[in-house]
Amino acid sequence: MFDAQRPGDTVDQKETKISARNVQVYYGDTHAIKDVNVDIESKSVTAFIGPSGCGKSTFLRCINRMNDTIDICRVQGDILLDGEDIYDKKVDPVQLRAKVGMVFQKPNPFPKSIYDNVAYGPRIHGLARSRADLDVIVEKSLRRGAIWDEVKDRLHAPGTGLSGGQQQRLCIARAVATEPEVLLMDEPCSALDPIATAQVEELIDELRNQYSVVIVTHSMQQAARVSQKTAFFHLGNLVEYGDTSQIFTNPKDERTESYITGRIG
Amino acid sequence: MSDATTPKGELQSSIHHMSARTKRRNAAERRFRAYGIAAIAIGLLMLVTLVYAILSKGAGAFSQSFVTMQVELQEAKLDKKGNRNIEEIKKVTTFGYAPLIKDAFEKVVGDRGIETDLKSKEMAALLSKSAASQLREYVIANPEKIGETIEFRFLANSRIDGYLKGRVTRESIANDKNVNAEQLDFADQLINAGILEKTFNIDFIIGADASDQRPEAAGIGVAMMGSLFMMLTVLALSLPIGVAASIYLEEFAPKNWITDVIEVNISNLAAVPSIVFGILGLAVFINYMHLPQSAPLVGGLVLTLMTLPTIIISTRASLKAVPPSIRDAALGVGASRMQSVFHHVLPLAAPGILTGTIIGLAQALGETAPLLLIGMIGFIASNMPQTIGEGLLSPNSAMPAQIYEWAKRADPAFYERAWGGIIILLIFLVSMNTLAVILRRRFERRW
Amino acid sequence: MPVFWLVLILLALAVAGYFIGRIRAVNSVGGDSRVLHSLPVYYGASAAISVLVPAMGLLAIWLLAQPILVERSVSGMIPSSLIPDGANLNLVMADVRRVAEGLNVAVQQGAISNEQARTLRAETSDIRAVLGQVGVALGQEVRPEVLRAAQSYRNLSASGALAMTVTVLALAMVGLGVSIRISHGQFRARNVVERVILLLLMAAASLAILTTIGIVFSMLFESINFFRLHSVSDFFFGATWAPNFRGDSDLSILPLLWGTLYISFIALLVAVPIGLFAAIFLSEYAGPKTRAIAKPLLEILAGIPTIVYGLFALLTVGPLLVSLFGQSGTLGVNWMSGATSVLTAGAVMGIMLVPFVSSLSDDIINAVPQSIRDGSLGLGATPSETIRNVVIPAALPGIVGAILLAASRAIGETMIVVMGAGAIAKFSLSPFDSMTTITTRIVSQLTGDGDFSSPETLVAFALGLTLFVLTLGLNVLALVIVRKYREQYE
Repeated sequence: MFDAQRPGDTVDQKETKISARNVQVYYGDTHAIKDVNVDIESKSVTAFIGPSGCGKSTFLRCINRMNDTIDICRVQGDILLDGEDIYDKKVDPVQLRAKVGMVFQKPNPFPKSIYDNVAYGPRIHGLARSRADLDVIVEKSLRRGAIWDEVKDRLHAPGTGLSGGQQQRLCIARAVATEPEVLLMDEPCSALDPIATAQVEELIDELRNQYSVVIVTHSMQQAARVSQKTAFFHLGNLVEYGDTSQIFTNPKDERTESYITGRIG
Repeated sequence: MSDATTPKGELQSSIHHMSARTKRRNAAERRFRAYGIAAIAIGLLMLVTLVYAILSKGAGAFSQSFVTMQVELQEAKLDKKGNRNIEEIKKVTTFGYAPLIKDAFEKVVGDRGIETDLKSKEMAALLSKSAASQLREYVIANPEKIGETIEFRFLANSRIDGYLKGRVTRESIANDKNVNAEQLDFADQLINAGILEKTFNIDFIIGADASDQRPEAAGIGVAMMGSLFMMLTVLALSLPIGVAASIYLEEFAPKNWITDVIEVNISNLAAVPSIVFGILGLAVFINYMHLPQSAPLVGGLVLTLMTLPTIIISTRASLKAVPPSIRDAALGVGASRMQSVFHHVLPLAAPGILTGTIIGLAQALGETAPLLLIGMIGFIASNMPQTIGEGLLSPNSAMPAQIYEWAKRADPAFYERAWGGIIILLIFLVSMNTLAVILRRRFERRW
Repeated sequence: MPVFWLVLILLALAVAGYFIGRIRAVNSVGGDSRVLHSLPVYYGASAAISVLVPAMGLLAIWLLAQPILVERSVSGMIPSSLIPDGANLNLVMADVRRVAEGLNVAVQQGAISNEQARTLRAETSDIRAVLGQVGVALGQEVRPEVLRAAQSYRNLSASGALAMTVTVLALAMVGLGVSIRISHGQFRARNVVERVILLLLMAAASLAILTTIGIVFSMLFESINFFRLHSVSDFFFGATWAPNFRGDSDLSILPLLWGTLYISFIALLVAVPIGLFAAIFLSEYAGPKTRAIAKPLLEILAGIPTIVYGLFALLTVGPLLVSLFGQSGTLGVNWMSGATSVLTAGAVMGIMLVPFVSSLSDDIINAVPQSIRDGSLGLGATPSETIRNVVIPAALPGIVGAILLAASRAIGETMIVVMGAGAIAKFSLSPFDSMTTITTRIVSQLTGDGDFSSPETLVAFALGLTLFVLTLGLNVLALVIVRKYREQYE
């Protein structure tokens, strides 16, 4: 099953899901992202790595326009999703975010039941016609989030009562419940212990069968473990982008090499 | 709308095409936002309405209509024997002065060629009932002036004053026994002659309250002194007690159930209705301790108890804001805990404490309900206190109680005074709060 | 003012003690203050404290206790035949006090000698006339028993005051003596002074408890007096409020409670939606500039004294409502007969509570973590969906607490209802009717000329106690809910 999508596959086997052209992001007077161009493939995992404050999370948040919620943030350039500009005036960020889901650094379940957490997205987007529909969607999503077996007996217990790793998998289940095409993950494992991290990483590997996953991570090992493509950001610039294996074994840029070998970061 | 087996439904379409559902949801979003704006707008509109009502209705209290005319202090009426014996002059009551005013009006009508059918008595009715006693006081103070003709400035009756201010019109007096249309015509003629005019009235700000019959003479000055003495009491008691209590709770109190009880108690006292403090004051200070009724001292005591929780809460917040490193530094050079608090923490927290105290005082200044129960209404606060002891112990009113007293009286002329009183009260409150804000801005320290 | 002089003497002694203590301590080490255990100032302060604190404490206790003891001993002299029906001992005791005070005034002004004041007999002289001369008016002839009781009251008070002066001064002298003896170099003066300061700080902190106890007991005692004269069941479950100063009144709280709750309900109906939406807008939508302007402006409404709102209700809102709903009003419905009504008071009180609700809710909404909002927005929810489905449910306990606090404010509010609600106690559903509340009745029953022995006056204390319990319950409930809520996100 993994044969066709082994790390190291060449680009032309995949279609491009997201392509960014000359993206600039400003926070007030600060130039946070400088002229980024990148093509993200569909149905694969792309990792953004780089030292703190390099702009990788900022760029991730541009992809589903979460930066809109910050008043002083301005975005220039084009980001195309399936060839359509997501910063076009006609685009409603609400509709965009249903297609481009997001999982955050800290597990953030709503203070509601596990069921309501997962059903929230389908409810607001009107994806279920009946209660039975919704039950089906919730179960399917929880299974995809690899947490169904742990919570199937207590779907109406509060989501905040789960352990950290379970909460994060619940948040992933919540994100996939709206049937997104892209899943953005902002350091999804940084608040988790090693065992929970392993479970989530395994889950990410499974998710790329159906979704295009973009993950921001601090951990180079994690990037190497889960991703097929890696982008290295430094001081707001996209320094290098390529197959994960190439980036970690044979970086072209000096800065990438310095970072990977631990001289900067 | 969407098929259960392919629940992506309309979301699968292009993001450049806004789905019907998204349009509906965006409309709901706009509505929701509009509710929020409307709520803010209503709140601000209410504030504007309130301020407008206060200013438009209260501004009139600061001006008053006066009649200026020459009055001959006739010796035949005031000092028949002509020996200027002050005791005998005092025997002439205000009724004895009324003819002088009538004569003065007759003279004005004659001199200025004013045509009127009014009798002199009806003309004199244009003046306040205080006019005769004003004359009498002048004569008793200056008996040597008897026989001379002196220019006097008399308050006009509240109806005439209302006519000048637009409150009284020819239509509104149809059923009014106190004034008739001819008198208003006469008033018009007096205005043309420059005898009757409306000017700024300092007596409203510094004067004493007057009886039901003379709204035109009522002032808020004495009540202001009552408030002043109350605030002095509150300041003298609540600041030291409040600071002491806060220092104990914040710096020394062990974490045990007694401390918990005290803390819960303080937060609850802050929310007890103010009228309950009035009942406490009545029962303890007046019925039990037999302190004098209506005394600003008692009012001050009640307001102190009421203000203490506010001051304690804000003082504790400012003590808490002083970083522990300051205390450690003092302890580290061998100061005792008491010394570290009084030498270092307290001075650093002082601006915050002061700000909290001013805000607490402002709250106490506007408080009315407890004052009603300890008797600071229902009488005419007419005497300016001469000494501090008198100021604290002799019966007085307070600004908010005086305003309530005026609002209760039947004559609408008093309403104008009540609004005017509110303007003065609010000026005090605004200045106190501004002072607090300035203090906070000036001395606020970020650690 | 003998107490005033006594205090002055104590202060003088304390100052003397300060210097003596300080000088003695310094001398005891040969003038080298570095050898002392504490700074010289502490030796002085400890001497001043040992003069002042015990003596002042005794003075305070004496001043509080003496009236009770004197009254108790004097009230034994009043035969029960003297107490008229329907009144109680307090009324007669008030007479006794008034006569005693009158005698004092008369002696002060020199109308009678002290000896005469002691030996006057009601049978032989006209006390009323004597006291009338010095400006003390009495309502009725002085009965012999009352006069004797009053004389005894004077005697006991005078001898009590003398004994107090002597004891307090003696205690102060003892304190001075002791402090002088112990002021030498080895004495740990700072520790003693700091201990006393700590005790004073504790005393200040416990004043809060004392106030609460004072509130509860002052109302409890008078309420018990009231329930001796009036049936408990009528007070709590009767249907009519009709005080009658000739006695035999119907005094039940239910109609007042109805008015109170109805007006509070209208107030919350105005304040909660406006306050809540304002808070939501300010915390979720408004930019920092709008927030910096709108929030303090709204909070001005909370700083305006209630008397202003009362006047606004009576003179502006009331007439406005009458011009809409009254006879020959714009709407021509003739629902409203006077300016005072439930709606008048409720609407104005609602305005007052808007900033109260909005700033409490604002704090609470801001305490909801941003990560939860991001989670919802990241799923494609609109901001309003996020607020309605995630933020508000998360903040709900805190908002309920805020509303309870606002309700407690509304129930205890006095001036707005005194001026805007009216004086008629009844059960009516129409918001255009004039109705009355618990606080209004407390004011009217206690500001009349009633004496403190009739049920018509005492009922105010029972009303006050009910009000206190009611608001206290709401406050405690609200505080518990809010505290739980805050812990959830800390």
